[in-house]
Amino acid sequence: MGSGTWSTDVYDAAATYRAGTGASAFAYSDSATRGARSTWQAHPTLDPSGLTTRESRDSDEHPDSLAVAVLFDVTGSMQTVPRVLQTKLPELFGLLLRKGYTEHPQILFGAVGDATCDRVPLQLGQFESDNRMDDDLGNILLEGGGGGQMTESYELAMYAMARHTALDCVERRGRKGYLFLIGDELPYGKVKAREVAAVLGETIPEDIPVPVILAELQRLYHVYFILPAGTAYAGSAEVLGTWRKLLGQHVIELDDLDAVCETIALTIGLGEEAIDLQEGLDDLTDLGSGSVATVGKALGGLARRTTGVAVPGPSLLDATDRAATGTTRL
Amino acid sequence: MTAPHPDGHVIVCDLGFGDAGKGTVVDHLCRRQPAGRPYRAVVRHNGGAQAAHNVVTDDGQHHTFAQFGSGTLAGVPTHLSRFALVDPLALAAEARHLAGLGVPDPFALLTVDRRALLTTPYHAAANRLREQRRGAARHGSCGLGIGETAHYALQYPADAPTAGDCTTPGRLRHLLDLLRARLAEQLGLTPEDLPAPPPADCTAAFTAFAARVRLTDPGHLGRLLRSGPVVFEGAQGVLLDEHHGFHPYTTWSTTTFDNAETLLAEEGAARAALRLGVLRTYTTRHGAGPLPTHDKDLTVPEHHNGTGPWQGPFRIGHFDTVAHRYALAAAGGADALALTHLDIPAHHRDLRIAETYELDGTPCTPSPAVTPATSPPRPRSPTPCSAPGPVGSPTPAPTRRPGPRRSGSASPSPSCSSPTARRPVRNASAGPPPGALPSTP
Repeated sequence: MGSGTWSTDVYDAAATYRAGTGASAFAYSDSATRGARSTWQAHPTLDPSGLTTRESRDSDEHPDSLAVAVLFDVTGSMQTVPRVLQTKLPELFGLLLRKGYTEHPQILFGAVGDATCDRVPLQLGQFESDNRMDDDLGNILLEGGGGGQMTESYELAMYAMARHTALDCVERRGRKGYLFLIGDELPYGKVKAREVAAVLGETIPEDIPVPVILAELQRLYHVYFILPAGTAYAGSAEVLGTWRKLLGQHVIELDDLDAVCETIALTIGLGEEAIDLQEGLDDLTDLGSGSVATVGKALGGLARRTTGVAVPGPSLLDATDRAATGTTRL
Repeated sequence: MTAPHPDGHVIVCDLGFGDAGKGTVVDHLCRRQPAGRPYRAVVRHNGGAQAAHNVVTDDGQHHTFAQFGSGTLAGVPTHLSRFALVDPLALAAEARHLAGLGVPDPFALLTVDRRALLTTPYHAAANRLREQRRGAARHGSCGLGIGETAHYALQYPADAPTAGDCTTPGRLRHLLDLLRARLAEQLGLTPEDLPAPPPADCTAAFTAFAARVRLTDPGHLGRLLRSGPVVFEGAQGVLLDEHHGFHPYTTWSTTTFDNAETLLAEEGAARAALRLGVLRTYTTRHGAGPLPTHDKDLTVPEHHNGTGPWQGPFRIGHFDTVAHRYALAAAGGADALALTHLDIPAHHRDLRIAETYELDGTPCTPSPAVTPATSPPRPRSPTPCSAPGPVGSPTPAPTRRPGPRRSGSASPSPSCSSPTARRPVRNASAGPPPGALPSTP
């Protein structure tokens, strides 16, 4: 018993932890992309094919659920986003819960690719109130393709989130959830019926223009677009202009991707009117975050807006679809 | 007896002083996977970096598991539960060794409950200084700060750093500063005099730990349990248990099945695991404290336990039926036993079995203190086999008779039915709170 022989050199330890890229946290991606590209497919838990609904529901443990969806571009330069998110997750939770921004967040992660050329253009996890979302993150396939034509299928993700999620925060309390798109490119102009058929396996009568699907989505969510610095088209006037036209002030330019979780948390804190910007930045200082200035700059434009209350309405799914689904909660 | 749960969970506990072979047993279980029902994880439910579970694979790989579970070489992930103590510095060193054995990314096989207490270089430094100051009355500590970690958490529950604190560098730094200052003050030193790296360096290393190793929230273990069978790997042995061991030679840890049972019960799976007790064919002890059947003339080779700088020599004794029976009772019984080192008795004919203790000529049967306790057992003469046993033949009793030393504090202790050694001590239930070390650290 008792080895007592382990080195306890802090520098060695720190170097050991920092060694490597953390790629192993994405074991599914690392193994799935080892084979031929034609064999790549989404992890079964994230595959939108045959998607019924992703639910954010109240439970005894979480009586006042608030849906938060974070969807990110996994192509090209944006592949580091999920890796950063995973290491920063504790901070997102820590901020939301410990600082009392909202008591019962349920977080869904998803990934967006390009339906015109990717094998796996859309991946959606479940709304989770514990670290099962971590598993979803770990199972996301980082395809890394993308056509370089400055467009990704964000509109397809919007479609899936608008028509295939059901949120108790909306249905019971008339409070919208939060949806963050993290990317550096443009959506295609329309949700294409043939892509919906190919990716989700369902038939819609005709293509849906982006402003129309966005309006549907905004009945359920406050929708934000986060454009991180250091990405392919960061600062692009066209990308920024297009998203601003769609989302107004809800476009957040972020100088440092490392601050993404803090930015999301404070955005929710502001939206829930739990804090003003200065209080949020003070919270970050308390927690020892190195991202105070970055987040302050990114959210400066959001600080003065007011929150809207969602239009309470029926689920967009029919009863049989809803009955057929069910997320298991702890 | 509880029937093994259909889900196949197993709790592995040592019914001696440790070193019985938990590592071997856990590795064996993980390699012999139930068909189609692979073990999802090895869960550590007590102890910390001071554990040393040796696994030698068929192809000659050897690793002394401390914080990683002994199923690692069989590819089974490890979960450190909230009852585990986490030493990120020792963990990094262990991961390096595992990587050297060809485990592709040891950190990917690890999850840590956010609530698990952190063991830091300050705890270890204070532990060693205190043990040095005890001089000849050393407790046999491993010198890694395990007891200090538990003690500090009881003294300052709100300020004891946890694995989760490693995600917030500002808070962590504050807690480490506080910890260093308080421990130094207790020892009459300035914070800088404590032989440990500065808090800024530790903060950097611990933050890197949190960025690399997946920290989990309370729901994680329940999910693991529902997704497949799990092996709970105990550390140390029941005879070192904080409530049932021979004080002060105890570890600050619940070494019985209890912690694992608590974790299972919290997830609605009470008594849902097979309770597997582990024993060697002879009884050993590393560190100070009584080993009633100790025989310095025994020549059994020991490959993985030498003389430790803080623990002292590794001692070997005859199979102590009395002590193991006591441990079994203290642990609340087991469903099955695993016996290791079966090859040794055949080659070492001088090994015997002690079946009874005698106290002033009267047979003495220690039993766990469940009623107002009487006295600690005074195992005078581990008698040789009174009937021909599977190992050896009757010979004179081992000569060494270390009586258990007591700290004098009122704490639960093994009791003895002998009327001649009666001495009032407090009821077990009136002892220190769970987790309290009965002696002064």
